[in-house]
Amino acid sequence: MNLSISALEYIDAIKNGDFTIEEFVSKTLDHIKKVDGKLHAYLSVNEKALDQAKELDKKRKAKEKIGSCIGMPIAVKDNICVKDTKTTCASKMLEKYVAPFDATVIARLRKQDALFIGKTNLDEFAMGTTTEFSAYGPSKNPWNTQYVPGGSSGGSAVAVSALESIASLGSDTGGSVRNPASFCSIVGLKPTYGLVSRYGLISYANSIEQIGPMARTVKDTAFLLNIISGIDPNDNTTIDNHGEDYLKDIEAGIDGKKIGIISEMVGKGTDKEVSSATKKALSKFESLGAKCEEISLDMIDYSVASYYTITSTEAGSNLARYDNLRYGFDFDLEGYEFNSYIAKTRKNFGPEVTRRLIIGGFVPSAGHAGRYFLKALKVKSRLTKEINSAFKKVDFLVAPTVPILPFKFGEKLDDPVAMFLIDFNTVTANLTGKPAISVPFEMSNGLPIGIQIIADSMQEKSLFQAAYALESTTNLPKVPL
Amino acid sequence: MVSKEEIEHVAKLMKIDLDDHAVHIDRVQKMIEYFDILDKAATESEEIIVNEQPLENLREDKYEPYKDKLIDKLKHYKEKFVRAPKMV
Repeated sequence: MNLSISALEYIDAIKNGDFTIEEFVSKTLDHIKKVDGKLHAYLSVNEKALDQAKELDKKRKAKEKIGSCIGMPIAVKDNICVKDTKTTCASKMLEKYVAPFDATVIARLRKQDALFIGKTNLDEFAMGTTTEFSAYGPSKNPWNTQYVPGGSSGGSAVAVSALESIASLGSDTGGSVRNPASFCSIVGLKPTYGLVSRYGLISYANSIEQIGPMARTVKDTAFLLNIISGIDPNDNTTIDNHGEDYLKDIEAGIDGKKIGIISEMVGKGTDKEVSSATKKALSKFESLGAKCEEISLDMIDYSVASYYTITSTEAGSNLARYDNLRYGFDFDLEGYEFNSYIAKTRKNFGPEVTRRLIIGGFVPSAGHAGRYFLKALKVKSRLTKEINSAFKKVDFLVAPTVPILPFKFGEKLDDPVAMFLIDFNTVTANLTGKPAISVPFEMSNGLPIGIQIIADSMQEKSLFQAAYALESTTNLPKVPL
Repeated sequence: MVSKEEIEHVAKLMKIDLDDHAVHIDRVQKMIEYFDILDKAATESEEIIVNEQPLENLREDKYEPYKDKLIDKLKHYKEKFVRAPKMV
């Protein structure tokens, strides 16, 4: 039994009777015990996982109906609610919060008999790109533990990459699924805004964020999207995808398709190893029959400033609910006046969240909104028009997922603008609502490089076809564990 | 250029206690300064697109009782009220 199998291979193996669910889950738990002390992918591990696996084996033995995941261990970012499970957002503010309900994505996976193996680490409230802002310490990149795994869904990427789960869920507000997928050499998808329900995802910037699947292969990612996508009465922004099957025809290829290389995303600020990997990816696309041309989107230069202005504003409002009165940690009410109590308890937010909240109060405020928030919204509108006209000319837009290679812990921690620019290639898909996928493509000195493909809204099916075609050209090493 | 006083004022409005957080003000100032790049974007004539949801897309306005008593999960409550610190 090999823990590095894909989700689809797992399903076949269980169906063939190669091993039981209990055997696989037990081996996964042993592996977590062995490596997670070092990698810290998980904030909590499901203590009932083995019992749940046994139950599912019993169900199979009794020939009862079983869902399509057949007990597959899936890791869940700790900002997605799993009923009766701690959901901390990697914050001291929510260290004791136990979710009273399942997020829609969890309910849908549960119905298909997925097994939630644990909750994964993230930057506090998903604000960051390295997991260094987790209140419980960072996750480590399994390819080299001196390097950051990317973020904010760093724990979810590490869990899949280091064989601590078969697949995982992350959330992507400005690249938080795609960035760690790229840094840890796995596949990560940010779906079209509205394709996946956000009900039960703890909000950070709700107008642009999406839950996204993370897995070892493009097919696994499509398999998960089949389960979690579609309309949900609990999230009014969801779109009906009419039960689209993203796995069907995934091997259709990209012969005759047109690909635009976003020139702003391969220019200055791009590491030379990343540049050369991108060129190589483009020649692979051409060898598969696609035609590549350069496309320029003027507004991209302002996208990061627009992104941080909008997300901080929404965070300021979304995180106003943390007053420690309804959920939070133990802190006696006696002897405090209302506002001073709240201000005192909000000290439990970590430094990055605190800074974003201050910015979130500042940029939309009466005296400054015209210069910052409204400008940011105008950039977002213009960028959306630009990308829409690009998709009239080409089928896909391509760029490196992250302009730079994974870097060492602490390297960028003290430079907020350097941190901002890590998101340069990913925020556009969020601001414009388009689907985007990161595909592991190459290694440079033992560090992974991912290629990002963006498609037009609701074109996930063809996006997966392009991603699968690119993936088929690669031959990547095994993670050194 | 955004002054530190302005930032401190906003921090108070956001109910953030600055005793421990004064150290962040410099960094917040740097972050906001980066946003000045927005001045260069030629978007004056741009209209802001907002996502409007037609009412018929919303779910039916029907009361669906929640099966658990959620208030039981709170630490400080009395009957159906959340307990909060004194307002004055």
